Amino acid sequence: MEGQMIRPVNYIELFRIGSVPINLGESIQVQWLVVVILLVLFAVLGRDLKVRPEGVRQTLAETIVMFFKNTVKDSMGAKFKGFTPYIGGLFCMSFISNLMGLLGLRQPTADLSVVATWGITTFVLVQATKVRTGGVLSPITSLWKPAAFMLPFNIIGEVANPASQTLRHFGNLVAGLAIGSLIYSALGHFAVFIPAVCSLYFDLFAAVVQAFIFMSLTMAYVSGADCSEE
Amino acid sequence: MEEKVLLAKAILYGASALGAGSAMIAGIGPGIGEGFVGGKAVEAVGRQPEAAGIVTRTMIIGDAIAETSCIYSLLIAFILMFGDPFGKLLLGS
Repeated sequence: MEGQMIRPVNYIELFRIGSVPINLGESIQVQWLVVVILLVLFAVLGRDLKVRPEGVRQTLAETIVMFFKNTVKDSMGAKFKGFTPYIGGLFCMSFISNLMGLLGLRQPTADLSVVATWGITTFVLVQATKVRTGGVLSPITSLWKPAAFMLPFNIIGEVANPASQTLRHFGNLVAGLAIGSLIYSALGHFAVFIPAVCSLYFDLFAAVVQAFIFMSLTMAYVSGADCSEE
Repeated sequence: MEEKVLLAKAILYGASALGAGSAMIAGIGPGIGEGFVGGKAVEAVGRQPEAAGIVTRTMIIGDAIAETSCIYSLLIAFILMFGDPFGKLLLGS
């Protein structure tokens, strides 16, 4: 019970303000690695594009871009197509961060602060969409629609949406991490085949699915906040 | 005094382990729910095989949302097992 099942988080101490240390946590370090990977990947993919695609590189780049364009257009409508870069960036960041577990690093998304940042961003986007489509007061007035007795439920829903979205992503990743270390410690020296199968599910399948779900829910919440009457 | 602290710790850890175990009873609900979703998806693909792609995608999203309550209980179980929240509160350790 007292044993440390999950490896403790590494950090580098940068400097101190008075006696308060300012640390560079492991999730930030790994996130910078993810940013570098994504930058290099898309810089290579997007170099000297031709009108008529030659080779695998440009076809792959076009497939990725068209995937995000079509997904945003199908689930949010043509009105919200300005969200394509944000949604694509969110998916790529979440996806590559989740895959960091395959390299033996601690996934940044298994840190509540990282995923909570994305959840809060979704909340801000929802409120901004309400302001943009229904006027400055609509974040408040939309709370008692369609009827006044819905007010408490709407307030709870407004807070619960980003919270559940955040906890789902975080919980899946942290469960994978914890169950992985539980399996390793239970098998001891005989950890041969079984951890690989579990890693396939927790590190690969959950990575793809959770990134996709987070993206889908963000799109659903933002396009659901549209207050304008058609 | 020392014996009392030991007894308190024993009760605390036993109760935490029991709590973690019973928190995972919540796994029943999502298990049934996801099985239902999977069965319905199989029916839909059987009736309309050309829509298999979109049915599978929708099924996975539905599964992941149904899974949420189980993930909550799993987090609570992990906190009870490894976080030791009540020990910090009670014994100050």
